[in-house]
Amino acid sequence: MPQFFFNKKLILLLVSIILLVALIGFSMRDRDKLTWPEQFIQDTTGWAQNVFNKPVSAVTRFVENLGDLQHTYDENKKLKARLDEYVQLKTEVQELSEENEDLRKTLDKKDSLREYESIQATVIGRDPDQMWHELIRINKGKLQGVEKNMAVITADGLIGKVKTPGQFSSTVELLTSVDTTNRVSAIVQGDDKAYGIIEGFDEEKGLLMLKRIPYDKKIKKNSYVITSGYGGIFPRGLPIGKVVDVKIDQNGLNQTAYVQPSTDFYDINNVMVLERKVAGKEAEIQDEGQE
Amino acid sequence: MRKLIIPLLALIIFIGESVLANVFSGYLYGGTSFLIPRMTVIFIAFLTIYGSRKTAFMYAFILGLLYDVAYTEILGVYTFAFPVAAYLISKIMKILQSNLLISGLITLLFIAVIEAAVYQLNILLGFTSVDFRDFSLLRLVPTLLLNLVFIVITAYPLRRTIESLRVDSEGE
Repeated sequence: MPQFFFNKKLILLLVSIILLVALIGFSMRDRDKLTWPEQFIQDTTGWAQNVFNKPVSAVTRFVENLGDLQHTYDENKKLKARLDEYVQLKTEVQELSEENEDLRKTLDKKDSLREYESIQATVIGRDPDQMWHELIRINKGKLQGVEKNMAVITADGLIGKVKTPGQFSSTVELLTSVDTTNRVSAIVQGDDKAYGIIEGFDEEKGLLMLKRIPYDKKIKKNSYVITSGYGGIFPRGLPIGKVVDVKIDQNGLNQTAYVQPSTDFYDINNVMVLERKVAGKEAEIQDEGQE
Repeated sequence: MRKLIIPLLALIIFIGESVLANVFSGYLYGGTSFLIPRMTVIFIAFLTIYGSRKTAFMYAFILGLLYDVAYTEILGVYTFAFPVAAYLISKIMKILQSNLLISGLITLLFIAVIEAAVYQLNILLGFTSVDFRDFSLLRLVPTLLLNLVFIVITAYPLRRTIESLRVDSEGE
């Protein structure tokens, strides 16, 4: 009965397409937590990635070190030249931070959006299916204090936020990811501070887009962009990058700045997960709800 | 002991892909193009062609599910794509001869099909706004070239391993 078999296959196909759509719909929702089988699989693969990553990264580090040795002389020269500058800057920073502390004391203002605690982590894997989802896996999870939406930085600057924390490993969504919930409130530094929101990544140019800056703000090229801390999750003052280009939006009410990220998103080995000391509004609401 | 070889190979290939993506991310994605390692697809295709169909479907489903849960976090895409690809490959190979050249080309063809299908799905879901021309220049062609290299390197040993195990299991 070939007709019967054909129907059976057709039904199987239809059922699996329905399942596919249902599953995609289920995972596209803004989920607070993964289901336990997903968490179990993620933690297991995280463990396996950790095991694999150790010998591989040891070898690549060795090779990289060999490569670095070649440039040591030139680099040393450059660094020595900058050392004097550095000492001067350091004393200045120290003085300013002391003054800041004193002023805060006199004002009796203890909280600051800048303060955070950090958790060190190593990158153990990356989503091979890049361009659609830019995710990396780190080797710290809930047991070490990592929570959803925490800021993740490298020594150079902000790279993204924690998307899904597992027990021993977590997934980090990079700033380059195209996601409607991936927004960072940022400031363009300068005489006239401009506020905007990092919204998306220009794949071809390799630049972040800082949108919604009021049209009357004059933005100089090469000015630095930092986080503002007003989003409620990220601490203030994390470096994001440098402005390279500014464009007026289509309707002329806003302008968009193109930002060259200060970190290389394709060379991330060690990261820090930051927990802001001043809780954001969302966290406060949750706390109240729990009490 | 010999029964463990295929699951172990699947695990190494699956985990290896993400570790590879991390370690060589500068070379794979850092430039102007995206080179996606698709060793899992190569493994599934060769398992379908040279191993038994049933195991191949099972591995395609499990690896697809793991890929979705562990890497992309959007369930269903690869869980669906891998078994369908395995099924189509098994249908096509009934007509064609299964020598290394043809199976390599078929594998490459299906990597392209999976890439294009996933791209269309991502357009639908709003994860990307890249148009097809940019997609093929930025991602499809470089990915196919990278995986062609993978196929050339792994085809012969992969076939030998799968075939020797198949003879084993049939002999029992």
